[in-house]
Amino acid sequence: MPDITLVEAVTQALAYELKHDKKVVVFGEDVGKNGGVFRATEALQKEFGEDRVFDTPLAESMIAGLAVGMSTQGLKPVAEFQFMGFIYPAMNQIVSHAARMRNRTRGRLSCPLVLRAPFGGGIRAPEHHSESTEALFAHIPGLQVVIPSSPKRAYGLLLAAIRNPDPVVFLEPKRIYRLVKQPVEDNGEALPLGRCFTLKEGDDVTLVSWGASIHETLQSAKQLEDEGLSCEVIDVASIKPLDIDTILTSVEKTGRCVIVHEGAKTCGVGAEISAQIMENCLPDLLAPVQRVTGYDVVMPYFQLEKHYIPSVKRIKEAALSIME
Amino acid sequence: MKLFNLPDLGEGLPDAEIHEWFVKEGDIVKADQPLVSMETAKAVVDVPCPYDGKIVKFYGQPGDVIKAGEPLIGYEATEEVAKPSSDKGTVVGNLEESTDVSEDVFTVGSASTSKNRVKTTPAVRLLAKKLGIDLSSISGTGEHGVVTKDDVNREAQRKAEPKEGYVPLRGVRRAMLASMVQSHQEVVPVSIFDEADIHAWKDGTDITTRLIKAIVDATQKEPALNAWFDSETSSRRCFEEVHLGLAMDTEDGLFVPVIHDAQKASPDALRKTINDYKKSVRERAIPADKLKGATITLSNFGKFAGRFASPIIVPPMVSILAVGRLYEGAVGVNGKIEVHRMLPLSISFDHRAVTGGEATRFLGAVIESLEKS
Amino acid sequence: MTTSIVARFEVPFTRMLDANGELCGPLPSFAEKKETMVELYKIMVKARIFDKKAIALQRTGKMGTYAPINGQEAISTAIGHAMDTKDVFVPYYRDYAAQFQRGVKISEILAYWGGDERGSQFDCESEDLPICVPIASQCLHASGVAFAFKHRKQPRVAVVCIGEGGTSEGDFYEAINVAGAWKLPVVFIVNNNQWAISVPLSKQTATQTIAQKAIAAGFEGKQVDGNDLLATRAVIGEAIEAARRGEGPALIEALTYRLCDHTTADDATRYQPSNEVEEAQANEPIKRIKIFLEKENLWDDKQEQQLLDQCSKEVQEAVDEYVNSKPQPIGSAFDYHFETLPDYLIKQRAIAMEAFEDA
Repeated sequence: MPDITLVEAVTQALAYELKHDKKVVVFGEDVGKNGGVFRATEALQKEFGEDRVFDTPLAESMIAGLAVGMSTQGLKPVAEFQFMGFIYPAMNQIVSHAARMRNRTRGRLSCPLVLRAPFGGGIRAPEHHSESTEALFAHIPGLQVVIPSSPKRAYGLLLAAIRNPDPVVFLEPKRIYRLVKQPVEDNGEALPLGRCFTLKEGDDVTLVSWGASIHETLQSAKQLEDEGLSCEVIDVASIKPLDIDTILTSVEKTGRCVIVHEGAKTCGVGAEISAQIMENCLPDLLAPVQRVTGYDVVMPYFQLEKHYIPSVKRIKEAALSIME
Repeated sequence: MKLFNLPDLGEGLPDAEIHEWFVKEGDIVKADQPLVSMETAKAVVDVPCPYDGKIVKFYGQPGDVIKAGEPLIGYEATEEVAKPSSDKGTVVGNLEESTDVSEDVFTVGSASTSKNRVKTTPAVRLLAKKLGIDLSSISGTGEHGVVTKDDVNREAQRKAEPKEGYVPLRGVRRAMLASMVQSHQEVVPVSIFDEADIHAWKDGTDITTRLIKAIVDATQKEPALNAWFDSETSSRRCFEEVHLGLAMDTEDGLFVPVIHDAQKASPDALRKTINDYKKSVRERAIPADKLKGATITLSNFGKFAGRFASPIIVPPMVSILAVGRLYEGAVGVNGKIEVHRMLPLSISFDHRAVTGGEATRFLGAVIESLEKS
Repeated sequence: MTTSIVARFEVPFTRMLDANGELCGPLPSFAEKKETMVELYKIMVKARIFDKKAIALQRTGKMGTYAPINGQEAISTAIGHAMDTKDVFVPYYRDYAAQFQRGVKISEILAYWGGDERGSQFDCESEDLPICVPIASQCLHASGVAFAFKHRKQPRVAVVCIGEGGTSEGDFYEAINVAGAWKLPVVFIVNNNQWAISVPLSKQTATQTIAQKAIAAGFEGKQVDGNDLLATRAVIGEAIEAARRGEGPALIEALTYRLCDHTTADDATRYQPSNEVEEAQANEPIKRIKIFLEKENLWDDKQEQQLLDQCSKEVQEAVDEYVNSKPQPIGSAFDYHFETLPDYLIKQRAIAMEAFEDA
């Protein structure tokens, strides 16, 4: 079984699905011969041909609009946006069409498409290459939003996203694209969408996060453990549909919760999770839900980015501040 | 060829003299390997190689003075260092790589068992709360398994239905149920048992009217048992008038009509009132106001069997006197056994509002009144 | 160093039947059987009668804002007739004659503008896309559909329609660009009715023709007299068949005039010069076909009256069906977002349905 990185897991999943489902096509800018700027589509064109894996002209609205048209015809397009920062020109196609076609036609036409994009900061990139605006998509009815945080889960979740009959925005945390390797069997087994993953069990506080921030969260959990605090760590993975039950079950047990995300605080996904926790298990809460997030400012240029991204220290402090 | 300039060797020293080279021109060197020793005004300092590479040229020989910031050596980066055509795997920035290999450890969903979260609406939750129904015990018949109002109502009805062989309590019995439950929840009851020796009574004495007179006499001596207690405000109201509740058992159940102002009535008037009540209770024609306002209750329960009992006090009253079966008992009189007619008495009082002393005084007064001829 | 001309362009304009109903050349091949023209005339008349009725429904509060097509009937009539059943049509919002020919019910179009999503459900088996409100976005869908046809090696064509104002949008350029770059079997038809709400063509773009935008995307652009059903039908037909043969995309600019408001919420008398409107009225498409058919003894007053009666009856039946249809329960607003309704929507749907049933 190969030990692979997160981005290699993406490649592996794409290859599996290209092989087993002839309706799948993979496209975007530089995904063909170049294999994608992060090599996410490495060697796929060579294996499956230009018919299945191909480069598009430089036009993001076109990438999404083509995916809409193709998917109404029963193809399964997996389209890449080179960076989340460049998905914005496609918003109209995503919000007005991909998310609405099934509803608009009362189920007659639908859009089984996947839009992939590397997202998040921490790689010392120029401006616009470090966006974490998953909340924009989570807000849109008709869209699903999935964010893996490990090679194995990236593989299983991407398979699920491609097989899903409705549109999925699949955001890949590029900061951890190559950070760890895991053995990931290429068995075509999908993981379920709409489920959180419990990474660590604990009794004193629930730490909720997704994407690259899972790494800082796990590190804080380990350090807090050494200081005598037992942390439960939950990887949300599916931002929408949200498996709030898993989070509620954990908070009912621990009574305390810290949510960690890189995206800006106001109207970030943490606000939604916090509201749902409050709605459903207020009597179980021993302290207010904390959010450790990016600030409500534009992601700074890379010299300052590590001061923006939620750090282990900030997470620990938030957890300790709600213990008595 | 790249240049390595003499660094600042510390404390802002402007220059240093080459003391000794540790390498030769043409040598392949590794970073941090000792390169040269330089003598400053203060000390002899070893300068390490800053990079992997090949030494191409020295810019001085031992004895030469080199200024800080000026070239010391020329070098070429080696193949391993250059990496000009290797794939960085990104088009911007730099992706951190590590050699960590680990298993992915995770559970899908919760680590603990989740509650059965019911799919329903706020309005239905409200209804369930009102009817005392546990939502998690219902399976919803609404679209997509949602629990509906109908589901809740159906469950409430089902719960209220008696089991096989059971008959639901209705009417007066149902009222008794409610009353007993309330009493049990609120009252702190104590019962005291005694007897009255009525051998002095003339034949044909009306037992009930004598009992009522005895109660009236006792309330003069000890008013504390002729009172109402308000648990909300922890206060009591003692009455001068005696509104006597007279328990009457019928086929339909227990009725307690009230003889208002019993203290004013003559024995004949009492007897008439009692008979009238018996009739109207039998005919289920007793008006509601005649069933309210009792300040103390008398229960003559001993018609069939039973001497003593611990009768139930109905708030807001604080006492109840119960009379058992009249019998001929052996009593001691001046050291000899005689057979006298005896009337067993049981008094229950609410110990929140009445003391033992008050209760015994009251009972004593009742007995004293009864034992007169 | 000298400068040489590396590219020139030409845009052909075609007319076959002039405003007076006179043929300017031979009848096109599709009209070999003159009965075909009678058929097409009937389709145009029905579209116009429907259009008038729809406006009346809006004005009497029985329908919401509606986009009329008066004066532009030839274009969608031509499209619907030229397309094959197995092709896919990607409309904007003035294509009713094409939609009717392709199986969409009159009552469905009324339902759409009447605020009921079932208007886009289409009872008939159809892969056609629904009416598209966001301007020009449908062009990319058409390119995507065409890609699917090419990918699967199917002899099918995507046909998309757009107003001339829409060709200023980025999505239009992105769509024609990729259509040209990938040689997709898609035909772009521009209804150039001279007005984008109140903005005249002169303010919309500096190009001499809309057709020449295709040249920037690497394929042919052609102009036709959009009031001339014969030319419009012939040129569109040729383009569709060429695309079907794998010869790549085409763009056809049909020149006409918007003899109506942009929508029922607009008042064109505020900006359309009345002399221009009068002139355009004289050029309108239905009149010239009628004159031609009458000259050819294929049509008379009696048939005209029969047709008017029949169309009015058909339209009225559709109106009755629309007006009498029961509105959807609020649950329907939830039921078509995903193939399987997720938990969070189940809960919300129950709350909405409860309030709906109580009301």
